[in-house]
Amino acid sequence: MELLECKQLSKEFDQKQILKNINLKIPRGKIIGLLGKNGAGKTTLIKLINDLLVPTSGEVLIHGEKPNVNSKKIISYLPERTYLDKSMTISQVFDYFEDFYDNFDRKKAEQLLNDLKLQLTTRISKMSKGMQEKLQLILVMSREAELYILDEPLGGVDPATRDYILDTILSNFKEGSSVIISTHLISDIERILDEVIFMNEGQIVLTSSADELRNKEKASIDEIFRRCFKC
Amino acid sequence: MLGKLLKYDLKWNYKPLLVFYGLAILFSLMARGLSEIENSLLFTIIGQICYAVSIAMMINIIINNLMRCWARMVRNVYKDESYLTHTLPVRKKDIFSAKVLAGIITMFTSILVIFICLFISYYSPENMNGLKLALTTMSSTIGMQTSLFVAIFIGIVFLEFVFMLISGYLGIILGHRSNNQKVIKSIIFGFLAFMVMSITSVLILFIMALFNQEIMNLFNTVAEPSADTLRFLIYGGSTLYIIYIIIYYFLGNKLLKKGINVD
Repeated sequence: MELLECKQLSKEFDQKQILKNINLKIPRGKIIGLLGKNGAGKTTLIKLINDLLVPTSGEVLIHGEKPNVNSKKIISYLPERTYLDKSMTISQVFDYFEDFYDNFDRKKAEQLLNDLKLQLTTRISKMSKGMQEKLQLILVMSREAELYILDEPLGGVDPATRDYILDTILSNFKEGSSVIISTHLISDIERILDEVIFMNEGQIVLTSSADELRNKEKASIDEIFRRCFKC
Repeated sequence: MLGKLLKYDLKWNYKPLLVFYGLAILFSLMARGLSEIENSLLFTIIGQICYAVSIAMMINIIINNLMRCWARMVRNVYKDESYLTHTLPVRKKDIFSAKVLAGIITMFTSILVIFICLFISYYSPENMNGLKLALTTMSSTIGMQTSLFVAIFIGIVFLEFVFMLISGYLGIILGHRSNNQKVIKSIIFGFLAFMVMSITSVLILFIMALFNQEIMNLFNTVAEPSADTLRFLIYGGSTLYIIYIIIYYFLGNKLLKKGINVD
């Protein structure tokens, strides 16, 4: 059984089709790049997988089941926005994650927090947006999940922070689990990808192993993407 | 998981409410203390101001309680925080139940604090005797024990506020099912949810009046109703509130179970 499967998945908003008949299978143990221009439907697809939107038609299956309590236990999701209660301190946020997620490793989270030189007593509202995003990444990567879904983790950050984010992802995801990274900043993540999914105008236009694609096209994924989606 | 969700909802709701509780009690104590000082125009004026502030604080507690609960629902279930709420391994039913329970618990403590403030501000043997007399007169008119009458009166006030609270929750759920103007639609749906059941109550009463002349007298005369009719209205009204609250709770749950579309 596939870790994640989308069958004929479509989503409409106000009669505008955002996703069109998405068929997708995500295997275990792979790092997958969900690549597409802005507005290609990447975030909508991710929201559907995370039960944050209701499909217009089709279905999302995780371990063969529609999104439910069990699927949420094994998916660790980093949205593109900050979702923490600003009135909480970091320590309270850790308590919150510990309360709800059995697979949250507090020691690992505290260690990662230490690297950022942040105090447990710091209030979220006192942190910059960038720091809040890093904290969210720590929270997400401190879970021993089967599937990590990271929506635009590199969006709007400086190159040094990008390196920090990629290192945190690579050194902290559970072995044997899969990681879906949605982005349009391909050159930064190309080196870590096992598979790529190209999305355009709400459809999947290409699914391939990263190495096979590079060998076949004799170009980097970034170049192939630029060629594919040239304006 | 319901307990854990409830814990965080209560913490969030109580944060400002505890401050208002404290202020309301403080101003009640000040008003009371200053009113004990005789022959001082200045203290009398300050005392009166404290009375006014304490009354404002009591009203504020109820309004703030309702607004805080609704704001929590919107932020936690539909805005940025919903990205965490809906990816927690909990059932949607538990998310909604925690919100409703947190609202009911905070409403209960708010009403309790208001009664404590009123007691602090206005307790005196004369006032107590006056109140007792009034309550005894009313309860004997209805043919009820005074203690039961007081309990039912407080219960109805409490149910009324809980009904307002849950109408608001339902309005938020209905308003957020559309893709635009969600806040305005939430307010309109909330108000409609409250009004629909209020009108339904009058309709039910009118249908019953068709078979009962005494109830019909409520509609077409200004004569005082009998004790039996008053008792019927009190018990019937309370029962209807409870039924409406249960209906809206299940309706809200059912709609949330169908799924949400976060912003």
